[in-house]
Amino acid sequence: MGGDAFEVTVNLVKMAVIFLMMVQMVPILVWAERRGSAFIQNRFGPNRVGPLGLTQLLADAVKFIMKEEFVPGKATALLFYAAPVVALIPAALSLAAIPYSVPVHVEAFGEYGPYVFNIQGYEAGLGILFILSVSSLGAYSILMAGYGSANKYSLMGALRASAQMVSYELALSLSVIGVVLIYGTLNLSEIIKLQEGVKFGLPNWGILYQPLGFVLFFSCAFAECNRLPFDLSEAEGELVAGFHTEYGGFKMLLFFMGEYGHMMVASCLATIFYFGGYNIPYCTPTEVLQILETKFASSTVASLLTSLVFLISFLIKVGFFLWLFIWVRWTLPRFRYDQLMNLGWKKMLPWSLFNLILTAAAMLILKG
Amino acid sequence: MFSSYDIVFYLLALFALFSAFGVVTSASPIYSAFFLVLAMMDIACLFVMLGAFFIAGVQLIVYAGAVVVLFVMVLMLFNLHQETEAFSRGTISGMAKLGVTGLLCGILATTLFHFASTAKTIAAEIGPEESTEKLAKLLFSDYLFGFEAISILILVVAVGAVALSQLKGGTHAKS
Amino acid sequence: MSVVLPVLILGALVILFGGGLIFLVSFLGPSKPSAEKSMPYECGLVGVEKRDTKVSVKYYLVAILFILFDIEVIFMYPWAIIYKSNLAEAGTFLFIEMMFFMAILIFGLFYIWKAGALDWE
Repeated sequence: MGGDAFEVTVNLVKMAVIFLMMVQMVPILVWAERRGSAFIQNRFGPNRVGPLGLTQLLADAVKFIMKEEFVPGKATALLFYAAPVVALIPAALSLAAIPYSVPVHVEAFGEYGPYVFNIQGYEAGLGILFILSVSSLGAYSILMAGYGSANKYSLMGALRASAQMVSYELALSLSVIGVVLIYGTLNLSEIIKLQEGVKFGLPNWGILYQPLGFVLFFSCAFAECNRLPFDLSEAEGELVAGFHTEYGGFKMLLFFMGEYGHMMVASCLATIFYFGGYNIPYCTPTEVLQILETKFASSTVASLLTSLVFLISFLIKVGFFLWLFIWVRWTLPRFRYDQLMNLGWKKMLPWSLFNLILTAAAMLILKG
Repeated sequence: MFSSYDIVFYLLALFALFSAFGVVTSASPIYSAFFLVLAMMDIACLFVMLGAFFIAGVQLIVYAGAVVVLFVMVLMLFNLHQETEAFSRGTISGMAKLGVTGLLCGILATTLFHFASTAKTIAAEIGPEESTEKLAKLLFSDYLFGFEAISILILVVAVGAVALSQLKGGTHAKS
Repeated sequence: MSVVLPVLILGALVILFGGGLIFLVSFLGPSKPSAEKSMPYECGLVGVEKRDTKVSVKYYLVAILFILFDIEVIFMYPWAIIYKSNLAEAGTFLFIEMMFFMAILIFGLFYIWKAGALDWE
């Protein structure tokens, strides 16, 4: 039981850290979004409260917390309260399955044996399948909110949002299968390892093999996150605010966290599948470790620093994709609902099938 | 002594029973559907504990992520009202229910007594990592015909669904 | 097993965090309930329409077509896993198998497309 107790403690700490990181990222992203949108639209954005308007986040948080707790009269209270909490679960579970950096190898220390510490919540054997299946549960929070609010706008918004999510999930899974075909595994860490090194003078990243797949994956990710230009569920011209019309205050904040969490998952996956994960172009983790081992006596410290270097590399890539999400939101107008469904079923789905067939045929001809 | 595996298993099993019970006893159909999702997720966890990662994924993606979403959407579409009683009453339907329950219990008991030992050896035999690949190899060699037949079956269902949605008449046939 | 426990821990953590904070925060804000406030929101007007609005059957159709294609897509995962490692011995065989499967899938897509099931408006 001793080993078990240790494992449980490590897991508990890891889970708490990952979840708190996700929660902490949200205000920062909201700030980036507001400043970014102001920059794009030639405005100022929040710049009065603190340096660069950064403490605006704290003011916002206080405002969210101090709002009146409110349930509409005809609402189903249980579903109404459960929906924002459920909205957090898929994003949090997916983020914990993502390998953020190379594992840290801790040397034997006294009576305690050597230990490998993964910079990852848990090693889900079939990571891709795990993340896809967990995020396919994302529709429930929306449906719960739509039904629980007892408001026709919420209901319409929820139906639209879930129909949109399921439609784009097909093209998304098909574009992911393209990646699985190339690397022959569903394990995220293995996919990252296979992207080490250099090919044709360029980093050996997935985008070299799956350029069309990347475009499809990223567009579908926008639809899965209900972000503009796909935020039909919240088309305020028609549906007030979609499925969260009746929500305000802290419960609204939880929905926000869920949405930004989905964005983070999508950015992490795009990085892992198509941009080498935590790999740095033109140098491998072993090389970095060797260099650092000559500088530091303890191999634990060297391993830790290597891990840190690659963590920063991963975060830079993810940060770029998160910025791309914000950038697109403030650049493109919203689709009409029929355009959205047409795009999903009549363009994305056939193109992703084509991409898959092309990949398989190319692999067959080139044998590998 | 109980290992942590046993503890997690029994907790999951209890929760599965609880949510399955919720499915049949809730008076509101929408709550039934949400309980069904809980039961599905629970069963997916149990599959993972057996090392059947792929089946767990299928369970979540197809059942929890697609089939029950359809249920919930349809319930919202028709906006069924809450039933006053969870069970309909009547001598004949009551007898039928008792009979079916007895049959299920019998099947369950038989399975438990007959296959408990074999299931354990099979689970031990198949490593958690290879099981997906083994399944894939079997599917694309020995069970090839079944695999291709599924595509035809799905095509038939798609045609049927489209044809039904285009029927004229009835309360909900036209959009 | 090694995955189930952390997943359950994290799920419980998230529910505790969300539910607990909603509960705690409810003590902080003001509470002035009124009949107008608890009415369903309808752009500031007094609500006129009943909740059970008619919804297009298209949503239902989209959901059922999604299930069908989702099942087909699920079967491609095991194929994708073994395709690369068996490319040398059985590549052509696997490719033709999947192309046959996909041909029927594409035919189904073509049919529902032509039948107008994907047309909104």
